[in-house]
Amino acid sequence: MTREQRRNFFKGMAFLTPWLVGFAVFTAIPIGLSFYYSFCDFALTAPRRAPLWIGLDNYRQLIHDALFWKSLGNTLYYAAMALPAGMLVSLGLALILNANVRGQTVYRAIIFLPSLIPAIASAMLWLWMFNARLGLLNYLLGWIGLPGVNWLGEQWAMPSLALMSLWGVGNTVIIYLAGLQDVPRELLEAAEIDGAGPLRRLVSVTLPILTPVIFFNLIMAIIGTFSILTVPYIMTQGGPNNATYFYTFFNYDQAFKFLHMGYASAIAWIQLAITLVLTGTAFWSAKKWVHYG
Amino acid sequence: MKFVKPVIFAMLAVVAGVFLILGSRQSASKAPPGFTVVEYWEKWVGPEAAQMQIIVDDFNKTVGRQKKIYVHFMSMTDIDQKTLMATAAGVPPDITGAWDNQIAQFAAIGAVEPMDDLAAAHGITADYYLPVFWNACHYNGHLYALVSTPGTVALIYNKRIFQQCAGQLRAAGLDPDRAPRTIDEFDRYAAVFDSKNPDGQIDRAGFCPVQGWYVPQESFWFGGNLFDPASDRLTLDSPATLHAFQWIQNFSKQLGQQSLMEFQFSLGNFDSPQNPFLVGKLVMQQQGPWMANYIAHLQPSLSEALCPKSEEWKLPDRTANYVWGVAPFPSAVPGQQDVSYNSFDALMIPTGARHKNEAFEFIAYVNRQDVAEKLNTMHSKNLQLRHASEAFLKHHPNPYIAIYQELAASPNAHSVPAIPIWTEVFKELTDAGQAVSVEGVEPLVAVRQAQQRMQAQYDRFHRIETERQRLGIN
Repeated sequence: MTREQRRNFFKGMAFLTPWLVGFAVFTAIPIGLSFYYSFCDFALTAPRRAPLWIGLDNYRQLIHDALFWKSLGNTLYYAAMALPAGMLVSLGLALILNANVRGQTVYRAIIFLPSLIPAIASAMLWLWMFNARLGLLNYLLGWIGLPGVNWLGEQWAMPSLALMSLWGVGNTVIIYLAGLQDVPRELLEAAEIDGAGPLRRLVSVTLPILTPVIFFNLIMAIIGTFSILTVPYIMTQGGPNNATYFYTFFNYDQAFKFLHMGYASAIAWIQLAITLVLTGTAFWSAKKWVHYG
Repeated sequence: MKFVKPVIFAMLAVVAGVFLILGSRQSASKAPPGFTVVEYWEKWVGPEAAQMQIIVDDFNKTVGRQKKIYVHFMSMTDIDQKTLMATAAGVPPDITGAWDNQIAQFAAIGAVEPMDDLAAAHGITADYYLPVFWNACHYNGHLYALVSTPGTVALIYNKRIFQQCAGQLRAAGLDPDRAPRTIDEFDRYAAVFDSKNPDGQIDRAGFCPVQGWYVPQESFWFGGNLFDPASDRLTLDSPATLHAFQWIQNFSKQLGQQSLMEFQFSLGNFDSPQNPFLVGKLVMQQQGPWMANYIAHLQPSLSEALCPKSEEWKLPDRTANYVWGVAPFPSAVPGQQDVSYNSFDALMIPTGARHKNEAFEFIAYVNRQDVAEKLNTMHSKNLQLRHASEAFLKHHPNPYIAIYQELAASPNAHSVPAIPIWTEVFKELTDAGQAVSVEGVEPLVAVRQAQQRMQAQYDRFHRIETERQRLGIN
C-alpha cells in the first residue's frame, strides 16, 4: 500500500467510523445479545439481576404456548389476505395511473396521499368507518339494500384489517409507476404492430419487464405484513377474543408488558426464521418468474 | 475555498458541543443552586398531570425549600417501559409513578427499591394507611411503593333512567328510588333497562360486563380471591370465579352474542362525549370516583339537575343535583356487604436512583393527610388513608365520595394480588371473559384453561427463581 493509498484508507475509515460504531452499538451487538438472551431468563434489570442461562427452555415453552400458535396463525391468515390483495390493488392502480389521461398527476397525488397520514390518525379514522352503527361502510351497504356488518367483531375483524391495509398502498403504487416508466415504448409499439391487444401487451410485455419491481414489492410486503403492530394495537387491541392478536403484538406483550425479555428474544428469532424462509422461498422461485434485463 | 470544509466541520463541532454541554442540564435549570434535584416521572397526561404539577410546586415552595430538595416533574406515556429502560441503562428517575399491578412485577426483577425503613422513619405505617392499600404496596414482606391516588370501584347508575322506567321497575317488584342490593336484584334491574330496536340492535343496555374494565376482577363480587397467599397458588377456577364467568355469559345470552358485540363496537371511548353511560346507552356500570370529573367535563348537565354545580352547596342534599347515583356494587354472596375492588397509582423508587432519601421526602409529602386530600380532591378520587376529614368529604367533586371511602375501608375490600405475573393473569382472564361472552365458550372450560395456563406460568417463575437462588444469580 502506497503512502497515498494508506492516507486515503485512513481518511475513508475516519468517515466510516461513526457509522460503523453506530451500527455495532445499536444494531449488531443488540442482535447478538438478543440471540444469547433467547436462551436466558432476562428482564432488562442486569447487572442487578443478571441473565440466567436456561438453555432451550424459552423455545420449549413457545411450542406449548397457545397464544404463540394463535398469533402466528392470525399473522399468516392476515398475510394470506393482505399480501395478494395489496399486490394486486397497487399494481392495478399503478397501471390505471400510468394511462395518459388529463389530470394524471392529481389522481396520482390522491392515491399517494393516504400513505402520508400517520398510522394512528388512519386507525382512528377507520374506527369510525368500521363503526357498526354509525360507520360509513355500513351506511353504504344499507344504501344498496345489504345488511350491515360488525366489521370489528370476531368474524370480520381480520378481513377488515386486511381491507384497511389497502388504504396505504400509495408507496407501492409509486414504486410500480417508476417501474412502468422503464417499459420500453418501442417494445409496446412493436407488439401493437404485431396485432397484440392491450391485454396481450400487458401480459406479454409490461408484466415480464415489471417482474423485478413486483419481486421487490413482494419481499417488502412479506416483511411488512409480519411486522404489523400499530394499527391492530390501536383499533382492536388484539381482540375480540384474540382474533387480531398478531405475532408482533404477542412479542411486544411478552417483552414490554410481561417483562420476559428472554422469551421475547426467542419469539423474535423465530419471527426472523419464518421471514427468512418466506423470503428465501420467494428468492428461490424468482429464478422462474423474475426477468432481469 | 480550501477553508470552507474545515469551517463547516468546526461549526458542526461547536453546535454538537453546545448540545452536549447544555442539553443534560435542562432539567436542573429551574432548581435553585445547591438544591438536590429529584427526577419524578409520572404516567398522567392532561388535567391529571397538571394537578400533580400543582402538588410538586407546593412541595418545592415549602418542604423542598426547607430541605433543599427540588422535584422536577415529567409527564410521559408508557412510563413502565421508560422506567425500565432507564433503570437498565443506569440512569433511572428518582421516583416513578406507575400502576399498582407493577409493584410485584418490578420488585420481583429488582427494578425498584424497598422503602420499609424510610416509611417507618416518616411515620407512615399500617396504622396510617387503609389495609387494602397498605398490603397491596408490599411484595415478599417488603414495602415497595406508596399510593399517590387510589380508585375504589362502585356501582354508578343513571337515576333519571331509573325514574323513566319506574313503572316497569315497580311491575317487576323493584324500587326505582334506590340501587340494587343483591346480584339477583341487579340482574332484574338490568333486564328492565335492556331495550332493542326493531332491527334487533341493542338501543340501551342495563349492564354490559365485557364493555367494562373489571372483567378479571368480577370474581371478587362472587366471593373469590383469584390468588391464595397461603398456598401460593392461583385460584382462577374456584367456584366463585366460575360463578362470575357464568354471570358474565348470561348477559350475552340474554342480549344475544352478535347484538352485544355490535353494541360494544359501536360505543364511544370512555373519555369521549360518546361514553355510553354519558349518552344514556348504558344504565349501570362499575366505575371509580373519577367519573365525577369526566361527567363534569364531558356531560355537565348530568351533574346540574337543579342548579349550576358551583351553587349546589345551597341545597340541603347536594346529591339531588346529580342525575347519576353511586352505591356499593352488590355481592353474590349472601350477607357479604361492601365488596370492592381497589386500584391505585403507585409511587416507587427505581433501583439505582441517585437521591433515594430525597425522593422519599416527596413520596411522604404526597401521603401527608392534607396533601393527599388536596390531590385526591383534584383527581376526584378517594383516600388511601384511614382518616378522611369532614372538609374532604363535603367539598369533594364526587358527592358520593363517602361511599367509596367506606368501600375501601371494608373488610371485603380487594386489590390486585401481589404476584409478579398479574399482568399476564389479567390478560388471560380478559380473554376468558371475551371467550365466554363472544364465542359462547363454556365458563368452566374457560376458567380451567386460564388456571392451567397461568399456574404453569407461575410455576415456571418459581422454578427459575429457585434456580437463581441456587446459583446465587439474583
